[in-house]
Order: sequence, then C-alpha cells, then structure tokens
Amino acid sequence: MIEFDHVSFAYGANHVLQDLSLSIGFGERVAVLGGSGDGKTTILKVILGLIKPDAGRVLIDGEDITTRDEEGLREIRMKFSMVFQEGALFDSLTVKENVAFCLREYTHLSEEDIDRKVRDILSMVGVEAAMHLMPEELSGGMHRRVALARSLAAFDPKMFLYDEPTTGLDPINADNICRLILDLAHNGKGYIVVTHKVVDALKLAERFLFLKSGVIFFDGGREELMTTADPDIRRFISELNYGTDTHGEDFPS
Amino acid sequence: MRGRVHTIGLRELIFNLQDFYLLSYRASLGIIRRPFYIKDTIEQMDYAGAGSFFIVVLISLFVGMALSLQISAELSTLGLKMYTGKIVGISIIRELGPVVVAVVYAGRVGSGIASELGSMVLGHQVDTLRVFGVDPTRKLVTPRIVSALLMLPVLTIIGDAVSLLGGYYIAVNVAHQSGTFYWSSIREVLDFENVFSGILKPFVFGYLIANICCFMGLSTQGGAVGMRRSTTRAVVYSMIVIVITDFVLTRALLYILGFSV
Ligand SMILES: Nc1ncnc2c1ncn2[C@@H]1O[C@H](COP(=O)(O)OP(=O)(O)OP(=O)(O)O)[C@@H](O)[C@H]1O
Ligand SMILES: [Mg+2]
Repeated sequence: MIEFDHVSFAYGANHVLQDLSLSIGFGERVAVLGGSGDGKTTILKVILGLIKPDAGRVLIDGEDITTRDEEGLREIRMKFSMVFQEGALFDSLTVKENVAFCLREYTHLSEEDIDRKVRDILSMVGVEAAMHLMPEELSGGMHRRVALARSLAAFDPKMFLYDEPTTGLDPINADNICRLILDLAHNGKGYIVVTHKVVDALKLAERFLFLKSGVIFFDGGREELMTTADPDIRRFISELNYGTDTHGEDFPS
Repeated sequence: MRGRVHTIGLRELIFNLQDFYLLSYRASLGIIRRPFYIKDTIEQMDYAGAGSFFIVVLISLFVGMALSLQISAELSTLGLKMYTGKIVGISIIRELGPVVVAVVYAGRVGSGIASELGSMVLGHQVDTLRVFGVDPTRKLVTPRIVSALLMLPVLTIIGDAVSLLGGYYIAVNVAHQSGTFYWSSIREVLDFENVFSGILKPFVFGYLIANICCFMGLSTQGGAVGMRRSTTRAVVYSMIVIVITDFVLTRALLYILGFSV
C-alpha cells in the first residue's frame, strides 16, 4: 500500500507537487496521466524515496519513508521495480551486463548460471539477439525492452513502476511493450504506469489519475473517465476519437 | 523554460560545501569499508593511469627541456652553469612535477569524471543504481578516489623522471655541460625532504581532484548546458584548488622539514 499524506514538493520556486493525498494498493493497475512537466515522474521518485517531499508523509506499507536515510530506504525500494523514462541503461555496460547487474550485485551465481538467467529474461522480452550489444547500438524499442528485462532480474518486486514506457515508440512497438507489461503483471502484481498517451493507459489500467500542475484533479475508473465532463480530460480523450497517437509530443493543455 | 540565476550566494555556497564534505566523507569511508568495487577501481585506474601516460610523458618532457634551457642560459651569464642540475631537479621534484601532472590529470581525467557522472545523473542511471540498492557514492566515487590516490603519485614520478631526462638532454647537448655532473647534482637533490614533498603533494592533489570532479558530476542539473557547466567547473575548481593547496603545502613542508625562508 502506497499512501501520500498531504505531500508537497518543489524544485526551488517551482511547486511540482501540491498537497497531494492518495493511496494506491500494491495490486492495483494505475495509470498516471498528465502533460509534460506536470510532475508525473516526480511522483514515482517520491514513492521510491529518490527525492524527499518538502511537506507531508509518504507511507509504504504503513511505514513513513520520508524520515529514512539511504540505507533504510533500500528495503523499501526493493519492493518495487522501476523502469525510468528512456530506460536508463548503464551505457558503459553491454546489454548482458546491464541485465546481470543485480544478479552480480546480490547473488553469487556462477558465470554459466548468470548467462542462462540473462538469456531467459532477454528471450522473455524478445531481445535475446542483442545480448552482446552496447546500449547505444539499440533502437528505442529494444532499449525499453532491455530496461524492462533488467528490472525483472532485480528482485521479486511487489509492484512495478513504469515511467512513460511507450513514449517515442511506433504503435506496434508501443503495443508490444503494453502486452509485456500486462504479461508481467499476470500473478496479481500491480503497476503504476506514467504516460501521456490515453490509448496506452486504457490498454493497461483500471484506475486513472490525472495530474495537472501538481494536483490530482481526476481519480477514477474507466467508466468515469469516458463520461467525465471535465474539458481538460475530454481533450486528452479526444485523441482516441481521431485514432491517432501523439508520439513523444506534449499534449496541449 | 524557467529562468535561473546562476550567481552563487553565500547560503548556496555553504550548502554546497556541506554536501561536498558529506560526499567526500562517505566516499572516503568506502575505501576501508565493504562493499569494495574492485573491478570498477581497476577500470578507473586503467583509464586514469595508463590512459594518461603519454600525455604526461609528452608534457613533462617539454617542461623539463624548457626549464633546463632557460635556467642554464640564465646561469651561464653568471658563470654558474654547474648549478643547472640542482635547480632543475628541485624545481621539478618539489614544485613543477606535481603541479603540472596534477593539472594534466584534472584536465584529462577530471573532466572525464565530471562529464561521465553528469550524463549518468541526467540519464537517470544514478537513480537506477539507488533503486537497485547500490550506493552511487561507493560504486562511482570511491573507485575514482582510490584510482587518483594511486595513479597520480605514479604519474608524477614518471613525469618527474621524464622531465629530468629532458633537462639532461638540453644541459648536455645544448648547454654543453658535463652529463656526469648533472646526474650527480640530481642525486644530491633526491634526498628525503625533497622526495617526500614530491610524493606527498600528488596524494593530496589526487584526492582533491577526484572529490571535486565527482561532486561536480553528481550535482549536474539541466541538460547539455548543465553538463557544460559542471564539466567546466570541475576542471576550473580543481586547478584553483591545486595551485592554492600547492602553496599551502610548500609552506607547511618547508616549516615542518626545518627550512627557513
Ligand atoms: N532535477 C530537476 N531540477 C529542477 N527542476 C526539475 C528537475 N526535474 C524536474 N524538474 C521540474 O519539475 C517539474 C515536473 O517534472 P517531472 O519530471 O515530474 O515532469 P513529468 O510530468 O514527468 O514530465 P514529462 O512528461 O516531460 O516526463 C517540471 O516543471 C520540471 O521542470
Ligand atoms: Mg517524466
């Protein structure tokens, strides 16, 4: 259970999150929608304790994480698997070493075991062939897949966090990533997926949060989303009616 | 875009220093406490040490030759040419060698550290490490400090040797001095006090350069412009700190080793 209790956060004079309160269960499938710069990524960083809110508390499984230091946050972070916007692969390591990163860090597997495990995970996301390439040699879609694979090799997370997993991908690749996300959540694990593409959000989520200037102004299910009268949300949804995607572009707000 | 004013106020400076001390403290602790990142450290040593070898040799050679040329020209007008070896030796071993090599290190390795760490911050790679439960200070900063502590003294010794050789070449072939005399005055210079000062300095410089450049890299903000700023600052601050520390160390060492000025 993730709970935000009147959380505020600012970068200098830029108030990114303002008095935010919400709670999300680990099993939920949530999409966080909003325009560029509205604080979506910031929410994920706050959940992981990567940034500390200026005010308010963040509770993970009832424990306040805002008072913990890096060491104490470790245990909290291991409950999640995070894929950052753009993937954030370590660009000095090959695909294999990226995926093997946590295995090497936390286990004493033999080289063959690591090799086998990495191969398994990579074939699960369909990029086994890229095993020995460097991140810069990958296409955008492959990059995301490898990032997904790396987050899978980490631990056994309770919940997945995805920051714009489909932004900048063509519809087919985006769809593949969505399928992958759904596959990974098969055993009842939930996820929070940040996106500004309603199409993908509808494929993935059951609950939708709309963020604008650091305030959640919509929180509801699919029905409510499709029938809402809010003009800002209608504008987001109108994307569906045109049947087009706004790839990587900021939606006008 | 949000406009930002980039003048550093006193408050920001103090905050920055506090963060800087904290980072150095935690990273230095990593030298003696687990986990050790041996592989990363060796990689850094290879990049910093082996990678800087040729540039250090080249620059030291010409510094040594120019110094020897200048000094023997000056001294010969006074009829004191035989002191060339001694003066070149002391200047190189105690002052020029450590400072020149440290400046080269800051320019080549320090800028590399700042830009690499900076791009890791901007690409969320540092955050990824933290999410994986890995302390970036230990994984990224400590290996770079260890590498500087080990490699800068070694590079300095190599640089000194090359400078002295360059000085020898000029003294003998251009200034027509006796080679044996040059070497015997160099040997005189190689006493404990001089060698100690010459080796202590690169340790201190290396520690400071690595800390400054890692700090600048890790505090990168704001895209390509931010990268430029942190890389430039890393090199500029390193150079300033090198020359100031050099002065302070020279003064302190002269005092401790019982010279009077
Ligand atoms: N490191 C930082 N330093 C200063 N300001 C920042 C930093 N990171 C983000 N911001 C600011 O915080 C605000 C929210 O950023 P955030 O990354 O959460 O947006 P986002 O909703 O994820 O946008 P996008 O869809 O473009 O990823 C933005 O206005 C941004 O300018
Ligand atoms: Mg974002």
